[in-house]
Amino acid sequence: MLQLLALHLLAAVAAPAIMRRFGRKGFLPLALVPGSAAVWAVVNTGAVVDGRGPTLDVSWIPALDMSLSFRLDVLSWLMVILVGGVGAIVLGYCAWYFASGAKFLGRFAGVFVAFAGAMLGLVTTDNTLVLYVFWELTTVFSYLLIGHYFDRKGARRAAMQAIIVTTLGGLAMLFGFLILGEAEGGSYTISELIAAPPAGGGLVTAAIVLVLVGAISKSALVPFHFWLPGAMAAPTPVSAYLHAAAMVKAGVYLVARFAPGFAETPVWQWMILLTGGATMILGGYRALRQHDLKLLLAFGTVSQLGFLILLVGQADRAVALAGLALIGAHAMFKAALFLTVGVIDAAAGTRDLRQLSGLAKHLPWATVPGVLAAFSMVGLPPFAGYVGKEAALEALVHLDDPMSVAVLVVVVIGSILTFAYGMRFLWGAFARKKGVPDTSVDKEATGLYVAPNVLAFAGLFAGLFPVAGETLLAPYADTYPQGEPGHLTLWGGFGIPLLLTGVIIVAGLLLMLGRTAIERAQELVSVGPDADRTYRGTMRRLDSISVAVTSITQRGSLPVYLGLILLTTVVMIWTSAYAGGLRIGALKPWDYPVQAGVAVVIAVAAFLTARARRRLKAVVLLGITGYGVVLLFALQGAPDLALTQALVETITLVVFILVLRRLPAYFSNRPLKASRWWRAILATIVGVTVTFVALVIPNARVTDTIAELFPEEAYNFGYGRNIVNVTLVDIRAWDTMGEISVLLVAATGVASLVFLRARAGRVERIRDHDMDRGSVWASDSPGDDALVRRSRTQPVRSTRNRRWISAGVALAPHRRSVIFEVATRLIFHTMLVFAVYLLFAGHNSPGGGFVAGLVAGIALTVRYLAGGRYELGEAAPVLPGLLLGSGLFLSAGAGAVPLAFGGVVLQSAVIDFHLGYLGDVHLVTTLFFDIGVFLVVVGLMLDILRSLGAEVDRQGEAEGRAAPDVAHDSPRSTADDAQPLEDALAGGGPR
Amino acid sequence: MTWLVPLPVVVPLIAAGLALAMSRRPRVQGAISVAALSIVLAVAIGLIFVTHTQGPQVVNVGGWSAPVGIALVGDRLSALMLLVSAIVLLCVLLYSLAQGIADGNEGAPVAIYHPTYLVLSAGVANAFLSGDLFNLYVGFEILLAASFVLLTLGGTGERIRAGSIYVIVSLLSSVLFLISIAMIYAATGTLNLAQLSERLLEIDPGVRLVLQVMLLMGFAIKAAVFPLSAWLPDSYPTAPAPVTAVFAGLLTKVGVYAIIRMQTLLFTDGALDTVLMWAALLTMLVGIIGAVAQDDIKRLLSFTLVSHIGYMIFGISLANQTGLSSAIFYVAHHITVQTALFLVAGLIERRGGTTSLEKLGSLGKFAPALAILFFVPAMNLAGIPPMSGFLGKVGLLQAGLELGSPLALATVAGGLLTSLLTLYAVVKAWNKAFWQDAPEKLPGDSTPRSMFGPAAVLAALGVLFAVVGGPLYHYTDAAARDLQAQTPYVDAVLVHGDRGEGDSDAAGGDDG
Repeated sequence: MLQLLALHLLAAVAAPAIMRRFGRKGFLPLALVPGSAAVWAVVNTGAVVDGRGPTLDVSWIPALDMSLSFRLDVLSWLMVILVGGVGAIVLGYCAWYFASGAKFLGRFAGVFVAFAGAMLGLVTTDNTLVLYVFWELTTVFSYLLIGHYFDRKGARRAAMQAIIVTTLGGLAMLFGFLILGEAEGGSYTISELIAAPPAGGGLVTAAIVLVLVGAISKSALVPFHFWLPGAMAAPTPVSAYLHAAAMVKAGVYLVARFAPGFAETPVWQWMILLTGGATMILGGYRALRQHDLKLLLAFGTVSQLGFLILLVGQADRAVALAGLALIGAHAMFKAALFLTVGVIDAAAGTRDLRQLSGLAKHLPWATVPGVLAAFSMVGLPPFAGYVGKEAALEALVHLDDPMSVAVLVVVVIGSILTFAYGMRFLWGAFARKKGVPDTSVDKEATGLYVAPNVLAFAGLFAGLFPVAGETLLAPYADTYPQGEPGHLTLWGGFGIPLLLTGVIIVAGLLLMLGRTAIERAQELVSVGPDADRTYRGTMRRLDSISVAVTSITQRGSLPVYLGLILLTTVVMIWTSAYAGGLRIGALKPWDYPVQAGVAVVIAVAAFLTARARRRLKAVVLLGITGYGVVLLFALQGAPDLALTQALVETITLVVFILVLRRLPAYFSNRPLKASRWWRAILATIVGVTVTFVALVIPNARVTDTIAELFPEEAYNFGYGRNIVNVTLVDIRAWDTMGEISVLLVAATGVASLVFLRARAGRVERIRDHDMDRGSVWASDSPGDDALVRRSRTQPVRSTRNRRWISAGVALAPHRRSVIFEVATRLIFHTMLVFAVYLLFAGHNSPGGGFVAGLVAGIALTVRYLAGGRYELGEAAPVLPGLLLGSGLFLSAGAGAVPLAFGGVVLQSAVIDFHLGYLGDVHLVTTLFFDIGVFLVVVGLMLDILRSLGAEVDRQGEAEGRAAPDVAHDSPRSTADDAQPLEDALAGGGPR
Repeated sequence: MTWLVPLPVVVPLIAAGLALAMSRRPRVQGAISVAALSIVLAVAIGLIFVTHTQGPQVVNVGGWSAPVGIALVGDRLSALMLLVSAIVLLCVLLYSLAQGIADGNEGAPVAIYHPTYLVLSAGVANAFLSGDLFNLYVGFEILLAASFVLLTLGGTGERIRAGSIYVIVSLLSSVLFLISIAMIYAATGTLNLAQLSERLLEIDPGVRLVLQVMLLMGFAIKAAVFPLSAWLPDSYPTAPAPVTAVFAGLLTKVGVYAIIRMQTLLFTDGALDTVLMWAALLTMLVGIIGAVAQDDIKRLLSFTLVSHIGYMIFGISLANQTGLSSAIFYVAHHITVQTALFLVAGLIERRGGTTSLEKLGSLGKFAPALAILFFVPAMNLAGIPPMSGFLGKVGLLQAGLELGSPLALATVAGGLLTSLLTLYAVVKAWNKAFWQDAPEKLPGDSTPRSMFGPAAVLAALGVLFAVVGGPLYHYTDAAARDLQAQTPYVDAVLVHGDRGEGDSDAAGGDDG
């Protein structure tokens, strides 16, 4: 079994290669693959009829109750023979059907064989979920096959329609299977479900409906019937196989499979009667007006599928037997008819029955199978179709419950229509029509005629030996819950069934004679809603609804998104706080009253920040809130934190101001005015919420904090008295390692945005500066203050003493400040030494790598501010990337070293040794980690200065712009405010 | 074998430092990155085996015994997440290397691409391994900072605009997360997840609920759960293809991972399960409706990304073993399939010159291999069996029916509808991009094989998941069982009652 499936898979994968090698004749070897499945079934016939068919159970995903269980019982046997046999015959037909130079045959053949494999699995598996797997695979493959001629719009549309409709049904079926599987007493094994259906209840009823929805969508029953005629856009062999013999039969198979267990349920009976009955009649009726032979057959197929499901969906054994017989008969005659139409299409170049004339004479070997198959379809003896239909009539006549009577009526009406359109097909395809000249036909290869003839004659033989069919099929029909076993026979004696057959033939002939009037009438009167149009309308509505909904949910506006997030958060917090009955407990206003003062300052500054329209003002006010926090830290006795925070605030301020040089002085207020109050209210609510939470939650603590453990362990195990530093470099060094990587990334990221394309690979040194090209920012008109300084034409290096900093000469004279340069000269090295001190002292006193790096960074900032970008290059003639990279490498590497010695990552050790007169050295290995931190922080600072400082200068200069000067531009400059960020804040329209 | 645990973080960080220091030699950088991520992949495979056979692996960093120090915990869930993310990261890296070779390295700031990418991978790994709430925050910060840089790579106006939405929303979520951490510490006095699992049970249930809500909000933004999801489709699609691919695959899933952890380890009383289930249902539907409305492949995929987050949240909200197990399975599936699809979208853009469905066409004719490469993961995304998406979905639906509440049933139905609409969206895209004739001639040239390979590997993973579905589900079941029991995790961290393995407390005892 699995071997057969694997064979299909292999053949499908190899098909493109085979087709490339053999051309269209490659279909012939491929035909052997589905053929082998049919042969396998035939070989097992005896065992199957005795109920000893092969079974297989391979575990796949036990957790989901999905196992590859297969079994060949009578129903599966029948389906395998049809799927495999018809598949092989149709593939053989393909070898002559396609033009020898046709494109994409490899893909076509591969998908076709894969489809056959999926179908084989579908009809043999005993696991509902695995059945669904194959079910969906057939859907997908049929999508690809319908869309074979994908450059045609109709084909694309039809393929899409087919996959959406059948997947809709498939998913419904999956839902049903899952309910049946999870229900009390349920199972994912089909045979168990049939043997012991889960006890009723609303859910199980729903499951039955859902499974049936799957079946009727796949088999194109009303209201899903419309996709099947559309699918005729596929090449004719595909129509013959998928849309007549195989895939659409999956729904019939499913109904037949589940009927023994569920056919007595009222909801089942009603659904079968309504959908099956409506389909049988509607399909036949619509077939009467089609001009395209293929479409005529398609509607005929729809009708027949309704018929089949109506029969196999009954609870009665005799009806079921008739249904099973008709499944076989239908596969043969319908595939034969489609293939015949394919021949006609190929030979005559048209399928329009109004243009075809006299083909009976010119295409005798198409006429023979056409006639034989059509006779079988309309139920004339001695064909298989007749045997099945007679058995159905016979069985239904003997039942007298109202449901069966209704079925009988439907079957008779449907059969009359079938007879009529069958005859119309024969007339349309082969007859010589008045006023239409004989159609000229091309000569087709003999091979093309083989397949339809084989199938049509098979239908004849099957009809001639009805007893064989009865013997083979009865074992499955007998599993149905009710009634006497039925019989298949050519001659059932005189009785009502024969009478009904007579009625069908006479009425059908009458309809056939009145065909022109009926066509005309159908064009005038539309019956009920057009399902196809409904589908298209639904999809259009779906598209427009989705656009409408998305334009609400997806505003493209950052303020809206933020507002939504905050609002959701606030609502959630208050709801849960209310539900949890939270109250503000005992409060202690402050440790020292001065804290309250600081808090007020912070709050006022924060409020003013939000109100500020001037960027610089906002930044400075923001800085005040930061320094307020510094004070709070200091008041709490946390000098390390205060120190760090102060340095961070300072640097942030510098960075902000560097950035602000290139931004307009004022925030744009244009787009935000309208919503200002809403935003203010929301901000207030958020603030109140967070405050409330902060007031309530700390009171809930019932245990000590882990902080209690820190002092002792930091000293005993971390060898340091400065707990903050030990925490940073040892206890929580893992956090620090992560955070310095954040610094590294942030630094390089900012630089990459400023340098954009080429991240400058070299440091700008003073020796690179071409004095003749003018000094930095020289394009400025000198202000009055410049007059007091020497002009740039004066020799710069004349007096050595005047040169306080290395690259000051590169700066335009009026930009220089002697006092600043002298001060820089004085403090730069001191700061660096202090930084090194902080780095080494950190373990026991305030300090550490982070703070040290910030101090060194400020030293560099001072150099840059005093001397411009060449000065920066002189002060730190290295690329920041090198500092950042080696810093991270050192820190993370130092962390990893202990692993090599069997230790734990980031483990520290202490080394004590004497240095003679210099004293004792108490070295903790975390120092190496801290040096890495130091390097990263210095690298970060350097990178920021180089990019937001030096590079922004250079770009400004290159653009010939004046030195950006934050302090002096006018409020009116907001008019050309067009930063991308502002656009985002303003919000786009719905997208 | 606990020495394996820190490596997925430490190795990429060391490599990132090295790569940045080598920024003038792109080839060396590439070699460093590939080597580092290959090591991570090997470690992840090792961790899978170790955690599966020996239980959670715990490292108390620096020998500081939990809860004083930071504990790194690799359990079954983390190991699986690490493995999948390592595969994805490596594939995307190879893809971007190939792209760099094909396009020449001119015109892009590649010097920082490798270090940043490595830092990103370290951050993702750190988030998966962290056993400490604040360190989890650090892991998030690492990956977010790196993602900010990657998203704005090249600095075009469009990317800056998209980036600003992403950055600001991410920062907001980080602030919420940070406030939650502060509050949780204030209420319990600890940050260690294992200890939190015990201490959160001791505090007032009302307070616990508020804490849960706050933490959940922070994570839900990152995971892009409706109504906190709108930022995602506006920010992802503009980035370079490999960047979008890795973001779409991994970053939201880190949020989902965090939600799984908090719901199974920290807040186990199921107080928010109903809320989560509603969120799951709405995320699925609103997301997929958004996808249907798109006419750009990348945006379409971004919306399906949001939508399918709903599946995972659904699994979490069910709070039964099947649900969790399937959610974990679905995370693994979704990481690979979304990454694959975004990589393919990159290939489509190269071939067709655009990702707009209005302008694309004829790819089925001119790029049949690309067609297969799109079709397979697209069908997988739509849950077409027997691929991984289907398997994950079936598990989730089974779990939903197992619970059987009306809301669960409605969400099951919503999930099926989402599945159908996903199929509709991708089929529509396929029809337009691959079948329909292009309105204008396609400008692109053929795709280099070397870019094809990584995308194909990821696409094939979806099929492979089906083949190994049995063992994989066995594994996720075990992972879910561990999560629900909690004891494997907690006991592995706090081996000595309230303290973990490590020497810091012992040292204290000696001296004191």
